[in-house]
Amino acid sequence: MSGDRIVFKGVSRFYGEVLGVNRINLEIAPGLTGLVGPNGSGKSTLMHLMTGLLRPSRGEITVLGVRPDQPEDLFRLVGYCTQYDSFPGGATGLSFLLYALALHGYSRDEAETRAWTALERVGLTDAAKRRIAGYSKGMRQRIKLAHAHCHDPQVLVLDEPLNGLDPMGRAEMIELFSSLAKGGKHVIVSSHILHEVDVISDGVIMIHGGSVVAEGAIRAVRGEITSHPIQVLVRSDRPHIVASKAFELPHVVEARVLDERNLLIRTRDADDFFARLTRIVLDNGVEVETVAPSDESVHAVYDYLIGDGSGGGTT
Amino acid sequence: MTDQPRDSAGVRRMQIRTLALSEIRRCLFSPKALPLVLLVGMPIALMILRALFMPSSMRANPSHATTEFAEVFHFFLLRFVVFFANALIFVRLFRGEILEQSLHYTLLAPLPRKVLVLGKYLGGLLSAVFLLVPATALTYFLVFLPHGAKGLSIMFSPTSLGQLARYELIVVLACISYGALFLLAGLFFKNPMVPAVLFLGWELLTPFLPQLLKSLSLVHYLVSFTPVPVSVAAFAILANPVAWWAALLALATATALLIFLASQVAGKLEISYSAD
Repeated sequence: MSGDRIVFKGVSRFYGEVLGVNRINLEIAPGLTGLVGPNGSGKSTLMHLMTGLLRPSRGEITVLGVRPDQPEDLFRLVGYCTQYDSFPGGATGLSFLLYALALHGYSRDEAETRAWTALERVGLTDAAKRRIAGYSKGMRQRIKLAHAHCHDPQVLVLDEPLNGLDPMGRAEMIELFSSLAKGGKHVIVSSHILHEVDVISDGVIMIHGGSVVAEGAIRAVRGEITSHPIQVLVRSDRPHIVASKAFELPHVVEARVLDERNLLIRTRDADDFFARLTRIVLDNGVEVETVAPSDESVHAVYDYLIGDGSGGGTT
Repeated sequence: MTDQPRDSAGVRRMQIRTLALSEIRRCLFSPKALPLVLLVGMPIALMILRALFMPSSMRANPSHATTEFAEVFHFFLLRFVVFFANALIFVRLFRGEILEQSLHYTLLAPLPRKVLVLGKYLGGLLSAVFLLVPATALTYFLVFLPHGAKGLSIMFSPTSLGQLARYELIVVLACISYGALFLLAGLFFKNPMVPAVLFLGWELLTPFLPQLLKSLSLVHYLVSFTPVPVSVAAFAILANPVAWWAALLALATATALLIFLASQVAGKLEISYSAD
């Protein structure tokens, strides 16, 4: 069965004397898997290990039977959207993808076709010939997603892929991930936002302090979490309108305008808030630039789940 | 995974070509090329100034032009311009992308790390040759130009053109061997210009070193192809000249070894930009 799974056997990774991840044992089946944990918990390390960008200090990893130190085989199977928000100097969206596809060995014509398909999937066809340096944060996120899946990999590893996307963009990307997962692919999505992953994942791996603290379906813990208010930071051109409309929602316990563009919402049902925010945007013609549940509240959730924050984690 | 190209010699060639072309674009056709162009333009600018301000008594006598170019070549072109141009080009191949935080995109492609090293090296080498070979020829031409028709007739004589070919051979061999050295330095060191300057010091000291230590420098083999001998310094230790085939073998061996080491280091390369 390990031929269709991503397997970690006793994997640890040290950065000098600092532990990145500790004795990870995992088997990830096809489908959409959420990798959740606070910032610095080891999510990116785990993803780097899976894709050979880091080597384990101990243990063994295989991705559909391929070791990550065999890039010529691995990256025919895997696409990775990292958290790094940097790009080759001077690249346009199209040239960035064409370069990647040429390295995969596609002919110029095939590469063009695949690049345009990927650009269309992430909604960047109009900006394809513009320099990435001039893209917004959301567009940069989209072009990284296009880069990760333009060669149609069996495994997609996505590190915080929804960061910087507006609500509409998030919905579109979530739809894309779901459709890929339903097609039998592995889609591994990391997030420090538990609710974000909960909504879209078939299964979840919760990581804290470099150790896996829980894995499987998180429906069981979801009920507990919904009783714990989550903070969401919204950046909008008219935060007062968003605040007043959001405060009408029964689960919103606080809507505080921080300044002329930023607004903080505390809600007991983040899923419903995200769903209704799109309606608020459409009905009132406001622009929402970013929506990001704030870090502190995730830590609070972890403290809530894990105890005082030390639950099982090793640093 | 659907319809992905299978590993084959054709795919490898395409990957190497893609990497090389990308490096050529980065080296020669980006704003980062400016310091390189200025460096390579220095001997040309100097020769233009020399031509403009040359006294007429000297203009009438082109017999020293050959020796003058030999001195310019040894002390400025080879040991400074060619050396630092190669340093600028080759240390950037990996270090530049690490500093730009974009190397991971290339590492996420299905290519063995040795192919990655080879493609980047080839791109760096073609860029270096593309810049330095014409610059050497132009400098050579500018040394003879102020001497008018007499100078040009010397320059275009078979002997002189043969000498130019030897100088160009030295430049190409320097690009090959220094390129491999700086490629490895770019993988090893966070600030590769420090070891580059130290190595330059070693190369400059070569004439004063005993035979055994001379053999550990690259310039010792490179100058063995020189068509016009140059007196290095009063305190230089004379060494037996190296036969051309031995020099070629030494440079080829050093280059192969350096590229092999670079492949080994690249094979273990990890992405941890915050540590760089």
